[in-house]
Amino acid sequence: MREFVYHPPTFRQKLDAALAETRLRLINISRYPGQLVMEIIIPLVFASMPMLLGRATAGADAAANFEANTGTTNYVAYMLIGANIFTIVTSAFWHVAYWLRFEQETGTLESIYLTPTSSVTLLSGVALHSAIRGVGSALIAYFIGCLIYRVNPLQGDVLIALLFILVGLIPLYSLTLLFGAVVLKVKESNALINLMQWVVSFLMGIFFPIAILPKVVQLIALAFPPTWMINGVRSALLGVGFFFGEWYLDLAVLWTFLLITPYVGMWVFRRVENNLRRNEGMGQF
Amino acid sequence: MSKHLSVFAAMVHKEFLIMLRYPIEFVASFFQVFLIIIIITLAGLMFSSEGVGAEAPPEVGGVVAYGFVLFIYLSDTLWGIGFNVRREQKQGTLEQLYLSPASKFASLASRVVITLFWTGLLSLGSLLVMSLLLGGLPLQNGGLGLYLLLMSLSGTFGMGFAFAALTLRIKEAAQTAVNMLQFGFMVLCAPFFPFAALPPAILAISRLIPLSYGVDSFRSTLMGYPEGFPELAPIGTEIIIVTLFGLLMPPLGVWLYRWAEDDARRRGTLSEY
Amino acid sequence: MKGQVIVENLKKIYLSKQRTGLFQSRTTEVEALKGVSLEIKAGEIFGLLGPNGAGKTTLIKCLTTLLLPTSGAAWINGYKLTEEDNAIRASVGCMLMGERGLYWKLTGRENLDFFGALYHLPAGERRRRSSEIIQRLHLEEIADRAVESYSSGQKMKLAFAKALINDAPILILDEPTNTLDVPSARELREIVQTLNQEGKTIIYTTHIMLEAEILCERVAIIDRGEVIAQGAVVDLKQSLGREKVIRLEGVISESALRAVEQLPGINRAALAMLNGHNQLTVVTAEESNLLPRLIETLTQHQALLQRITPEEVTLEDVFIAHTGRTLADNTSLQ
Repeated sequence: MREFVYHPPTFRQKLDAALAETRLRLINISRYPGQLVMEIIIPLVFASMPMLLGRATAGADAAANFEANTGTTNYVAYMLIGANIFTIVTSAFWHVAYWLRFEQETGTLESIYLTPTSSVTLLSGVALHSAIRGVGSALIAYFIGCLIYRVNPLQGDVLIALLFILVGLIPLYSLTLLFGAVVLKVKESNALINLMQWVVSFLMGIFFPIAILPKVVQLIALAFPPTWMINGVRSALLGVGFFFGEWYLDLAVLWTFLLITPYVGMWVFRRVENNLRRNEGMGQF
Repeated sequence: MSKHLSVFAAMVHKEFLIMLRYPIEFVASFFQVFLIIIIITLAGLMFSSEGVGAEAPPEVGGVVAYGFVLFIYLSDTLWGIGFNVRREQKQGTLEQLYLSPASKFASLASRVVITLFWTGLLSLGSLLVMSLLLGGLPLQNGGLGLYLLLMSLSGTFGMGFAFAALTLRIKEAAQTAVNMLQFGFMVLCAPFFPFAALPPAILAISRLIPLSYGVDSFRSTLMGYPEGFPELAPIGTEIIIVTLFGLLMPPLGVWLYRWAEDDARRRGTLSEY
Repeated sequence: MKGQVIVENLKKIYLSKQRTGLFQSRTTEVEALKGVSLEIKAGEIFGLLGPNGAGKTTLIKCLTTLLLPTSGAAWINGYKLTEEDNAIRASVGCMLMGERGLYWKLTGRENLDFFGALYHLPAGERRRRSSEIIQRLHLEEIADRAVESYSSGQKMKLAFAKALINDAPILILDEPTNTLDVPSARELREIVQTLNQEGKTIIYTTHIMLEAEILCERVAIIDRGEVIAQGAVVDLKQSLGREKVIRLEGVISESALRAVEQLPGINRAALAMLNGHNQLTVVTAEESNLLPRLIETLTQHQALLQRITPEEVTLEDVFIAHTGRTLADNTSLQ
């Protein structure tokens, strides 16, 4: 019999495993085409609600009133950006926070924990899938929305807007991972995630600037990376104003989040993971 | 009759117990509704000349608040029934229910009763939150408003059975169908904005849906018919449409459900998922 | 030979929470493994036997790193448990939770490819391994269909295929023939034997003693978290101190009897008349290879055999002797 000696995976092998996880999820969702269409329709309908309401009630003054309250006349793009970043946030919550739970429910969690691929690698694959799906459908919905409501989707600094989205993704996933660790210990994870996505949407100012919220709530809101993400995109495209006046200062805050939150997220996650292994086991819930 | 009532009471009791076993879901659904309503209201206020803290024009508050109340009520009756069938089907308890001599309708209706009670509380809470945010809501013609709400509910109850019939047929795709219908309803029946906001082509489709008249007449009546409301037809016509919808839809829905159920039993797909 | 899997005094204690009221709960300790020690040699099929709830799966889950043991130590393929977990995972191919460990929306081949990637196999190697395993297990017809359309037995087979994807030196199979029909179970056992002949060490858990007797060279019988007996199947049976009895019926002559008495390993032999024909009763302490030699000797002496009834000691008897219970009794710890 030949000797079997274990060699720790190279970066390339880890990347390969992460991409396999991404591929698995993308193949999986491609078998639910209706769901994919919904992911584009939901933000469109969601953004339309306040827009139609505003148009109908404020009539010809809609744009002017909106500018006085938010800093831009382009309420269509403003609402579409809000609803689409909501898509990215929801996508992160459902894909990352619910990831282990989902595997637990389908019974595949133990299967993947039997392999030498670490949960960090798997998680990167899951996050990549979530990013492709969330950002992909958000961009498509944004462009369709702009087409329907006849506004220019590419005004302002598009590259800076994209930068805010990309830099904001990792802290967002770290946040959802942290939440996912909590969810793993609770039976009614569905309800909690549902609630959490609305809390974050509210705090990040999905359809309004957070300046209208009470000071304490504003401070809490600023602790969430999506708040910086959404304001960064709106400021870059629509000029509503960065929190610190300049785009690079706001982006620096997101970078800080990016450097800190993954460690916090992973630390909490590992603790819960070990706790589960010490007790009832990963497959139980 | 008393036997039927006791079965019904037992079912309501069971549903209530199940609800209590999920305390987080219970609390989360409550907060979620408030968050949604605050988000939409704040968004609406971004279009008012004085922003947040200003007295909003009564139409904004009325349209959103009453539209929302009707929306969550309709969600209960319309999707609630279909989802319950689906849940039983997934848990494998659907066949069990059929094995007991108790009426299947009692089982479905018991859930709706529980959720309607819960939604009543949610509606009152939501209206209170909106009153605080907007500085009061118009409230007139309460009796007629209640009648229109009940008729709309009765109609959607019937639609719920029709939807449950569809659930028995399409199984997993039901979730997507629900989402599609729900969002279709959110646009076409305009629960969160006046019909005037819809482009003429879409408005033409809205006019073909009886529920649109339910939404329009309910909120116009409670707002005391301000200038331009009701938007789709004179109130008398709307009341007749809503009444007919409320009376005819339930028997039609039940008939459809029975048909789908018999079909499922014939094909042996009752417990399949 | 040094053991490929060594387990030393492994203990596992769960904390089990029981609700006693709306906001009250009581935590109790459940000792699922009470100091298990084992040594499994390279290249053998080792059976872990015991009734449902005996602690077999807990032991397997500890050895496959899914659960952290409370105390004790274990080495798998020379790697220390809890310290070199990834090396252990790479050394083991595992079929643990039956058909539930698969992605049902994916095809069989996609499942194998995915798990291959998680074992860090390069893409080409994954494809080659997947095709090879699919062929070996005769899964060609269903390999490109979504798993959800498989029958229960087909899913079990694919779960078995998944355990082979990393070509690990150690295979851990937890009740792999559960839910399989008789021919499929037989086919799976044959494949297990072939894999063993190819050099794989196999840990096979089952509550079906006959299955263990067919497959395993050595077994450990677990009950209520403890190893109550361990060793070679033959030794375990002999440890009961019972002699084996074989009854042969037909036309058997005195000379045939005398020839049988001369055979090595025969303790006693007796011939009797029964319903117009002879019955030869042979009492032996030896387990293996006796029956063929016996038949050969008798036929050489012109005996006409009509019926052979061996009365063997089974592993079930061993279990009964140690516990006073049959395997059908559920000894669940919960």
